[in-house]
Amino acid sequence: MLKAHDAKQIPQKSTGLPHEAGIAEQVMRKPSYLNVFLTFAKNSMIRDMSFRMNFILQCISSLSWAAMNYGLFKIIYQFSDSIGRRTGWGESEFFIFLGTIWIINSLIQTFFMANATEFSEMIRTGNLDFALLKPIDTQFLISFPRVNWAQLANAFLGLAVIIFYENELLHDPDKQMNFTIWSVPAFIFFVLCGTVVMYSVMITLAATSIWMGRNQNLHNFWFYITNFYRYPMEIYERGIGWALWGTFTFVIPILVVSNVPARVLAQPMGGHWGIWDWTLASISVVAAAGSLVASRWVFRMALKSYRSASS
Amino acid sequence: MPESIISQMSIIEIKNLTKSYRVYQKQEGMMASIRGLFRREYREVHAVRDISLNVEPGEFVAFLGPNGAGKTTTLKLLSGVINPDSGACQVMGYVPWERENEYRRRFALVMGQKNQLWWDLPAAESFRLNQHIYAVPVVDFNRTRDELCDMLDVTHLLGQPVRELSLGERMKMELIAALLHSPDVLFLDEPTIGLDVVAQHKIQQFLKAYQEDRKSTIVLTSHYMKDIQALCQRVIIIAQGAIYHDGSLDEIVDRFSGDKIVTLQIGGPDEAFEGLRALPNVIEVEPPRIKFRVGRDDVAKTLSDILSTHAVEDIVVEDPPLEEVIAKVFTDAQDAKSLGEFGTSAAEAR
Repeated sequence: MLKAHDAKQIPQKSTGLPHEAGIAEQVMRKPSYLNVFLTFAKNSMIRDMSFRMNFILQCISSLSWAAMNYGLFKIIYQFSDSIGRRTGWGESEFFIFLGTIWIINSLIQTFFMANATEFSEMIRTGNLDFALLKPIDTQFLISFPRVNWAQLANAFLGLAVIIFYENELLHDPDKQMNFTIWSVPAFIFFVLCGTVVMYSVMITLAATSIWMGRNQNLHNFWFYITNFYRYPMEIYERGIGWALWGTFTFVIPILVVSNVPARVLAQPMGGHWGIWDWTLASISVVAAAGSLVASRWVFRMALKSYRSASS
Repeated sequence: MPESIISQMSIIEIKNLTKSYRVYQKQEGMMASIRGLFRREYREVHAVRDISLNVEPGEFVAFLGPNGAGKTTTLKLLSGVINPDSGACQVMGYVPWERENEYRRRFALVMGQKNQLWWDLPAAESFRLNQHIYAVPVVDFNRTRDELCDMLDVTHLLGQPVRELSLGERMKMELIAALLHSPDVLFLDEPTIGLDVVAQHKIQQFLKAYQEDRKSTIVLTSHYMKDIQALCQRVIIIAQGAIYHDGSLDEIVDRFSGDKIVTLQIGGPDEAFEGLRALPNVIEVEPPRIKFRVGRDDVAKTLSDILSTHAVEDIVVEDPPLEEVIAKVFTDAQDAKSLGEFGTSAAEAR
């Protein structure tokens, strides 16, 4: 009968191999996740550069999308000074919000979008087999292999827009801005929280392909969800909007993760953080941690159901 | 207990391993597809049923079987890519589908049908990635890579994008990528599929030399008898998801082929030769030579009959070609299955 051996004892077990002494050492080696990620990033860069025109066109297309977006809201703000009364979302504040959204979108599209789609495809074609063979965390391995550098252009554009309008606000005598040395790290931190939440939602959705066999709804879903999270949450605070407000604040807190970092810099209600701001910030942090844990759980469950494809 | 002593030694132990798939049965046509939206019929496919076997360290074993026999599924179970329905399995003491990193650092799987190198990049970049994933020290990595590239004669192709390599060159790169971390156990799923004779031969030679040098344990599946003849001391025939035979190639021929092929060269006048054309199971007549098939047990009698009436100058008695024997084995296995020897294969489920 076979009995369960303690795996830890195995390296000492004689396998009659010539390099026996090396096994214990070989078994204990840990991969450097940073090195693996940097190799992914480098390989993606080499790949992008070898298709030069494609790279340039991708940059141009995403930048023009952003420019049109900007133009549209510029037009809207010719008709109004602010979104709603006493919400504080004037033109400068709103463009800081827009810049924040561009940065989060761009991070997702640079690092995760192609990978989540590819993961879905790997499940259908059975190529996930190879990811499962590697002695490294599988979720890590499928989340990062492709870095779509061209999509990073919008993050820089977003950053430029934010710097420009933050400067406007700081020099506006009517505003009471509270911009300290902590504002920038806080902004970065909450942008990352937002990115983590969006990543988790995306990878969870992609993992469901294991049960569905095929899941081509990723892009659609991304379009739907970003439609809701790319506006200040105050616009939902009326009529039926409250239902959306509640759903996207407490159930799937995508509104929170886009609003919190934007509010850190735009400060629509002035520089003082009230209890509501702290609540939102806490939801953002909890959502990031919770969604990441949840995505790992779903991912593991999904792998258990993976059945590979024909040879 | 002698049994447990044996199993202590084995590097691969498989006990009653079983794996079934539920496959959606789609009928042809539009209406059937619409019906399929509401009510689906599934068929149970028993890819692997109740397989038990042991492999010793340093063995080079072949899984042989027709398409869909369960060879690849067995390899996938051994590499932990899929979970079995029941049964136990250990490779080097690890349970494969627990997918421990310690285990995954010590084996490799190469699939001839699939590509695991970065398509748009030179193979060297994929190798580098594997170095980081397997945490191979740079010195070891460089040495192993250079050795393997040298053996397979692909050093000059390292900088070329994988998509621009020929199938044979790509397969060599796949092998190198899989061997960079010096695995103790290697699973090869049809590594020579689609390759020309020269490339096939090169890969065979490489595997042989590599295995002799490293004493690694290799399990190979292939459709090419040449691969198996050249490499494996032990052949396991899998058909309908079950083991049909386990032994050496010679044993297979002995067990499954009842015939010998006899070639005679006849001297003397042509008239004497004419009588031989009437023999049953003549394969080829090319005076003064004749080639025919005869039952293993009848060889002696048939030959002595002919020798007493004809002036025979040369006799060759040989086994039928291996391909032919194997084809017969597969057909036999199929027949055995339809007689119910393997149990039922299909069950309707909803």
